[in-house]
Amino acid sequence: MNPAIDFLNIFLPFTYIATFIIYFYDFMRGGKHFVNSKRLFLFLTLLTHIIYLILRTAEFNHPPITNVFEIFTVLAFSISFAYFILELLTDIRGTGPFIIIISIIFQIISTLFIEDLIEVKEILRSNLLGSHVLSALIGYAGITISAVYGLLYLILYKEIKLNKFGIIFDRLPSLEVLETMSFYSAVIGFVMLTFAIIIGIIWLPQAFPNFSFADPKLIGTLLVWILYGVGIITKFFGKWRGKKVILFSIFGFVLAILSTLLTNFLAQSFHSFY
Amino acid sequence: MNLLSLSISHHTAPVELREALHLSNEEIKTFIEGVKGKLFSEGLVISTCNRTEIYGLPANESINHSAIQNFVLTMKPAPAAKSENFNHFLSYDAAKQLFKVITGIDSLLIGDNQIYHQVKDSIHLAEEMKFTGFLTQKLFDAAIRTGKRAISETEISEGAVTVSYAAVQLVEKIFSNLSKKTALVIGAGETAEIAAKHLREKLIGRLAITNRTLEKGQRLAESLQARIIPFENFKSQLHEFDIIISATSSEGLILTKDEIRSAMKKRNFADMVITDIAVPRDIDPKSKEIDYVFYHDIDSLNIIVEQNLAKRRDQIPRVEKIINEELKNFFDWYHSLEVAPTIKSMRDHFENIRLEEFEKNKNKFSIADQEKLEIVTKRIINKILHQPTVELKKLTEGENKHDETAAKVGIIREIFGIDNSKAEKEK
Repeated sequence: MNPAIDFLNIFLPFTYIATFIIYFYDFMRGGKHFVNSKRLFLFLTLLTHIIYLILRTAEFNHPPITNVFEIFTVLAFSISFAYFILELLTDIRGTGPFIIIISIIFQIISTLFIEDLIEVKEILRSNLLGSHVLSALIGYAGITISAVYGLLYLILYKEIKLNKFGIIFDRLPSLEVLETMSFYSAVIGFVMLTFAIIIGIIWLPQAFPNFSFADPKLIGTLLVWILYGVGIITKFFGKWRGKKVILFSIFGFVLAILSTLLTNFLAQSFHSFY
Repeated sequence: MNLLSLSISHHTAPVELREALHLSNEEIKTFIEGVKGKLFSEGLVISTCNRTEIYGLPANESINHSAIQNFVLTMKPAPAAKSENFNHFLSYDAAKQLFKVITGIDSLLIGDNQIYHQVKDSIHLAEEMKFTGFLTQKLFDAAIRTGKRAISETEISEGAVTVSYAAVQLVEKIFSNLSKKTALVIGAGETAEIAAKHLREKLIGRLAITNRTLEKGQRLAESLQARIIPFENFKSQLHEFDIIISATSSEGLILTKDEIRSAMKKRNFADMVITDIAVPRDIDPKSKEIDYVFYHDIDSLNIIVEQNLAKRRDQIPRVEKIINEELKNFFDWYHSLEVAPTIKSMRDHFENIRLEEFEKNKNKFSIADQEKLEIVTKRIINKILHQPTVELKKLTEGENKHDETAAKVGIIREIFGIDNSKAEKEK
């Protein structure tokens, strides 16, 4: 038991919620009041989170990627961190609340169910596992952000079509920007998932005697990967665009979530460690 | 401050009368030449399509609003003009009116920042005509500062408040970079021209114009460096355009849903924004049912305009706060120009200089000489200040005009740097 880790575990959802509130308030009020301070808030939240992750790694002698709730906290961090980088690069600051809320959900679930695991299977201390999980996590963060921007695209598309010029119309960036951000996030997600799958296919048969290509998680991930691959290729060659690609991205995200939930909590798989 | 102001605007007069009393730049020059020295010692004339405003310091005490009004009506006869068509302001209210005008809160289109530039141009014209003086220059500087603050510190000028600009704002919600887009403007009337100009200002990649009367279209195309498409051919090229703005006076539809669908097929359903600003409409409104077609008519654009106007109206209290701050600063400065406090400030200012120099140098003298030095330096200062003090006191005697006195006092304060040294001390 480390009181600092326990404190940060409880404290983190509150920091994410506070950051969300400031981003949301700014979104509703027109993005002028906390235009810089909200970014500072997000930075401090991410800093707190990274300290928490380092403390956990040091205390339990393994990176926090050995079970689904540890992965959820890393995922919460990855999503907000990816958004932070995206905000810095594009200076589009109005979409924060829609991304940070996803981190809040993952972090709350993690905070509630995470346990202090000191004893983990030797297999979970492998470096290859680290690369496999890390690339998968960045991949999932990419497709999550892609889905969020996709959803925002669909909402704005509908609002403009229906002549509704409310807060969404005022505050969101243009449809073209939302589509581009969704597409680029999906490409990053797809590339990282490809790495995760390649490392997995090389390493898993050696590491797990009961490895099977019929594993539900493997099939689920492969389906998600194929879906994104098709979406990206068709968009790249100009066959599909706009809503069609966006819907593909959102569908891929839903499938990825379902696959994770089913394989971790329901199906018997070598991929379930919890 | 004896500032007089006469205003005729959309609040007080119909458009015909505003047009009749509108002064071109040349007429403003003639007006200034006519009133300078006779009615006003210094002042300003602003004339736009929605208002004509005259501000000035009266040349003598007998000059009032009626005298100015009569001069205006002699120069620009308008039989329909009645006294209720003119608003009169005096002193603080006149300055406040100028600040309200420059910030756009008195405009027909609230927050219209074009008025800011128009007032600035009018001030430059007054300066050119040597119609500004010490007091009005300070007032106009304060007015420009107020206008600038209103634009930068509030959202009074934000959002589109005209249909043509709302059309462009809508386009920007769909496309991120207009320099890579192509636009077609159908029509060459005033509305079409304004919309086309807005697109050019937004650096549209390629602009084309089509119009039933080719010559008229050509003229507009040339002025905007756009391509002209003969009206008979434009439908076959429709698929090339990302943005179509239509503003013709046609009685019937000029583009049907099927024609747009066929253009969309040719462009592989890439986004197309269609804004129909014409009344009656030029483009079949059912086009909005086609995927990736963003069709908007004048009614939907008016929704944007109304929303933006409402937001601007919400900003008025914030602008009024800025106006009140700037008015307070200006009148605080103005009241500092009274004679008695100025004599005291001037004497204090010179005494401080004397004391500073005395303290710096006294050690170079023996104790006995230091006393003499103090007496001598005091005597020099008193002699220097004797004449300015007498002249300042004279200003308060007889029938001296207050604004003239204030101006003279102001100049004295400025050349001796009295306010600067006071401010430095306070720091």
